[in-house]
Amino acid sequence: MDVKTVQDVAKFAHLALTEEELERYSKDLGDILSYFELLNEAPECSERGVNPIKVEDITREDVPKVEYDADELLRDMDTYERYVRGPRLS
Amino acid sequence: MSMDTTLADLKKINAKYQMFHAMTDDTVPGDAKFLFSAKDNLTSKDMETCAGSRILEGYHPVFDATCIEKLRNAGGKLIGKTNMDEFGFGTFSTNSGFEIPRNPYDLGRACGGSSGGSACAASVIEDHMSLGVSTGGSICCPASFCGVYGIAPTYGRVSRQGLIDYGNSLDKIGVISQKATDLKKFMEIIAGKDEKDPTSMVQPEFKTAYRKMGSVAIPKEGIEGLSKEVDRVFKAAVETLKSMGVDVEYVDMHSLKYAMPAYYVLATSEASTNLARYVGMRYGHQEGDHSLKFDDYFTEVRSKYFGDEAKRRILLGTYARMAGFGGRHYAKAREVRQVVINDYKHILENHDAVLAPTMPFTAPKFDDISKMSALESYKADYLTVPANIAGTPHLSVPCGYDCDGMPVGMQFVADHWNEDVLFSIAEDWEKQFDLKRPEVSI
Repeated sequence: MDVKTVQDVAKFAHLALTEEELERYSKDLGDILSYFELLNEAPECSERGVNPIKVEDITREDVPKVEYDADELLRDMDTYERYVRGPRLS
Repeated sequence: MSMDTTLADLKKINAKYQMFHAMTDDTVPGDAKFLFSAKDNLTSKDMETCAGSRILEGYHPVFDATCIEKLRNAGGKLIGKTNMDEFGFGTFSTNSGFEIPRNPYDLGRACGGSSGGSACAASVIEDHMSLGVSTGGSICCPASFCGVYGIAPTYGRVSRQGLIDYGNSLDKIGVISQKATDLKKFMEIIAGKDEKDPTSMVQPEFKTAYRKMGSVAIPKEGIEGLSKEVDRVFKAAVETLKSMGVDVEYVDMHSLKYAMPAYYVLATSEASTNLARYVGMRYGHQEGDHSLKFDDYFTEVRSKYFGDEAKRRILLGTYARMAGFGGRHYAKAREVRQVVINDYKHILENHDAVLAPTMPFTAPKFDDISKMSALESYKADYLTVPANIAGTPHLSVPCGYDCDGMPVGMQFVADHWNEDVLFSIAEDWEKQFDLKRPEVSI
C-alpha cells in the first residue's frame, strides 16, 4: 500500500501518523494485502453468513426501568453540570 | 495452594510473572468457594478494565460482565484482571499497553496471546481458573504455550454482555485451567442464554454427559509447517490416542489455507468499527484539548493512546471496508467462512472431532518475537483461526514437552454446540497424561 493511501485511510480512521509510521505501515500493509490475494483462489460459496451460527431477532419486553444510576455512570466521565464534556463541533 | 496462601502471595507472584494488570487487595478469601481471574477485556465493577489499551486507562465499569456476575453468584472471588494484547490484537501477549506476562516454564519466553495473562495465571496458581476470550485463537494458543487446558466454546454459548468487543461475529468467552475437569465445571456456570446478548439466545441445551470419543480426523494441511519438536511430540500423542481406543484418519481440508486471510479481513473490519467509539470521551483518557474541533480532538487522543498493532489493524480494517477492496475481499472472506464451516461439518459427519497441533511451534523467546514482521506473526495463527471463523468449539490439551521442556498443545474441534465430546476426550486424556507443572518459586 503506498504512503498516500495509508495517509488517506488514517485520516478516515482518525489517526495522525508520523513519517516513520507511514513508511512502516505502508510496507506492512502492502505485504499483508499481497498475501490476502490468496483469497482469490478460494472456492466459491453461495452463502455469506454474517455470523457463524444462525441467529434470530429476539427482543426484550418493552418495560421502562432504570438499569444504572446516572450519577454512577457519570462518575469517571469528564462532565459539566451532569453533561458529558466533549470537543467543539465547529 | 490454599486460597489464603494464594491471596497472601498474589503480589509476589505477579511481580515475577506479570499476569495481572489489576489485583484484589484482599488478603483473605472470606466466604469464597473458589478464586478466579478474568481477561481484562471483561468488565468488572470493582477493578479497572482496560483491555490492554492505554486509551481505556482509568475506566472503572459500573457493571460486571455476565460471565463474571455468574461466577460471583456461584461463590467465586475475582482476584485479578489478566494482561493481554491490546483489545486482543496479538499472538504472544506482547502487544500490550501495560505489562507483558512471562511464560511460567521460561521467563524469557512469551505466554501466547491474546489471553496470555489468563493462561499464565492458570499455569502458575494451583486450583485456579481464568476466563479467556478467543477471537482467532486467543484461548487455545496461550493454553498451549503455558501447558494448561483451555476451551473456546461454540460462538453464542456464553453471553458476550460486558465483553469489550474485538470482532462481534468471532468473539467467544471460555475457560483456562490446569485441570480438564475444571473446564466443564466452570463452563456449566457461565454458559446459557442471556437476553442482553441475542446471539446467546438461540443455543440448545448445554450437554455435559460423558460421550466417549470414537474417532478423530487429522487434516493433512493441519500438520504442515510444524517445528520438528512439535511434529515429534504430536506424532507421539496421536499414538497415545490410538492406544486409548480412538480411531485416527488423515483427511484433506483444503479450505484451511484460506482461513487465515479471511479471518484477518473479517476481524479487522469488525475491529475498526468497534474501536471507533474510543475518542477520549466518556471512558478512559479524556484530557485532550477541548478547544480543538471534534475531528482533531478525536485524532489527537486516538493517535496518542492506541498502540502500534491497534493502529495497524484499524488501518487494515478501515481499508478492507472501503469501496473497491471491500467489495472483493470482505465478501470473499464471508464466503470462505461458510466453506470452512461446511468442510468441518462434512468431516464431522464421520468423526467426533478434528485434531491438529494447537500451534506450529512452542512458546517463542521475546527476542525472536521482536524480529517477526506483522505478517509472520499473523501466519502463526493458521492452526487456530479456522475453528474460530467457523464458530465451532475447540479445546487445547497439553500433549507433551519439547527438548527444552516447553509445553506442546493439541487442539480438538467439534461441531457447533458439541462441547460435551470435547470435555470427554480432555478428561480421558488427563487421566493418562503426566502434566509437568512449572517450578514456581517466589
